[in-house]
Amino acid sequence: MSNGIALETRGVNKRFGGVVAANDVNLRVESGELRCIIGPNGAGKSTLFALLCGIQRADSGQIFIHEHDVTRMQQFKRVRLGVGLTFQTNRAYQELSVKQNLAIPNPGLSHTSERHELAKERLEIALNGFDLDPQDETIAGELPHHKLQWLEISMVLAGYPDLVLIDEPTAGMSRDETDRTADILKELNANGLTIIVVEHDIHFVKSVAQKVTVLHQGKIFMEGNVADVTADEEVKKIYLGHAH
Amino acid sequence: MTNKFFQLIGGDADIGSSKLFWIGFVIVVVLFCLYPTQVSEFRASNVAYYLLNIPLGLGIALLWGYCGVLSFGHVAYFGIAGYTYGIIAGNMAGNAYGPMVGVLGGLVASIIVAGVFAYFVFYARVREWIIPILTLVLTLILETFLGQTAGYQWRVGSVLLGGYNGMTGIPAFQIGSFVFMGYSFYYFCLIIVLACYVGLRMLLNSNFGQVVIAIREDPLRTEMLGYDIRARQWLVFVLSAVLASVSGLLYVQWGQYITPSQVGLYAAALPIIWAAVGGRTSLLAVVIATIVLNWVTYTLSSQGNQAAMVIIGTALVVTMLFFPRGIVIMVAEWLGQISNRNKPVDKVSAHE
Repeated sequence: MSNGIALETRGVNKRFGGVVAANDVNLRVESGELRCIIGPNGAGKSTLFALLCGIQRADSGQIFIHEHDVTRMQQFKRVRLGVGLTFQTNRAYQELSVKQNLAIPNPGLSHTSERHELAKERLEIALNGFDLDPQDETIAGELPHHKLQWLEISMVLAGYPDLVLIDEPTAGMSRDETDRTADILKELNANGLTIIVVEHDIHFVKSVAQKVTVLHQGKIFMEGNVADVTADEEVKKIYLGHAH
Repeated sequence: MTNKFFQLIGGDADIGSSKLFWIGFVIVVVLFCLYPTQVSEFRASNVAYYLLNIPLGLGIALLWGYCGVLSFGHVAYFGIAGYTYGIIAGNMAGNAYGPMVGVLGGLVASIIVAGVFAYFVFYARVREWIIPILTLVLTLILETFLGQTAGYQWRVGSVLLGGYNGMTGIPAFQIGSFVFMGYSFYYFCLIIVLACYVGLRMLLNSNFGQVVIAIREDPLRTEMLGYDIRARQWLVFVLSAVLASVSGLLYVQWGQYITPSQVGLYAAALPIIWAAVGGRTSLLAVVIATIVLNWVTYTLSSQGNQAAMVIIGTALVVTMLFFPRGIVIMVAEWLGQISNRNKPVDKVSAHE
């Protein structure tokens, strides 16, 4: 993989009234990384994703995707730079069939790199790994919860991104399903996909992450490898709620 | 090539894709073709009136049912096209090309108004629930404006706008020296309605149409797959305004007059009711409801019955309470279940 910077924020701030959702966030994710972002409720994890994708606009600071300044770019244009996002609450098209869900994303919209073949392989990995059939006429709303999560991840991959932001994929999943999700994400990452995951499940984080970023009150609290971060007393205090 | 054509027509963007359905469809079309040979020109002309409203209903189905945007004021485009046609064709009276230029002018005028209006609505990302109010206000402003155009100062060339009495003496449509009146106008309407239905069905089964449906289901999710949903909503809005204009043009060519009440509140509510009663997420359901409800209204009001509005309103309330997805759609689903039950080995038939 190339060693470019997939994503970078410089001094990003966002307030909602008196609530500071992002406080001078400087995040840097290299191409090919699998990064986990953790933090207690209200730490600003989902807001950070919304800022990265353009669903929310930053009050100040700059955001770069593949070294393009996207701070003022419309959200659909950011997607076309090769970014995919899954939402915290599942947003697959529940009234449409699995087939339609997977047919609606258009790979031609994302940036036309020589990596198309690779993106196609990744989609195959996801479809096989998650046991999804692109010809399946089942209405998505009839799928069990974990299948719906997998469907949304696959939909995003069907747009051929090379950076995906995944917001709490394993919430509500059983241990087996969580493990399977972790395995597939690792396989996709091994194939060169840059992945940023927001997750609460420490077991999941330990099994996938190379590097972990801890958010607290909109600020980057700590960054490092999984073992260091999860062993850190301060992190335990804020994240696990252990008052010492 | 032809295979692709049949896939687009037969896809599941609308109810009915079985062989039985298409046989029935062809039979109904043939019956509509034969109808004028059995009835007087006056009756054929009445049925032409029910037919000419269908593009307006289809426009609402496209915009509201498939794209999730409710316009309460699409009759504005019906009126703009009708009045523009009247002005142009009226001024070119005696010229064989007058009506054609009028049709073109009517469509262009509608596209411009709809295009500018939709640009501000969609590119400003106006909230979904405000759009019905804005569209209704637009058509009511148009009605108020047209209502005060009585008198000779409101003359465009040789044509009077006519205030609340409306514009009269609008020329019928003609190609060369052939004037579409009576029976021929009936067939003219039938062909246009068929073309609109088949064309829309193909559009909605295409990739473009699937994305339009995705926008209805979840605009943000669709945008986050890289689609410029503003551009698509704009295009669908303008296209549905064109369909409303087609009805407006046929209406003035049929009755040779138009009044401001055609863009008023009552007229504005009607296409919404056709779409809601039939089932807005199916083109065919809206076509059927448009014909039936227009037949009911026309029959009742031509008998001097004042209850037409009450009956149509009741139909809407009953639909909302008991058939929330539309009467035609729910009946069609029920029929589909029955025919499935009669096929116990449906795995075999699925392999055919």
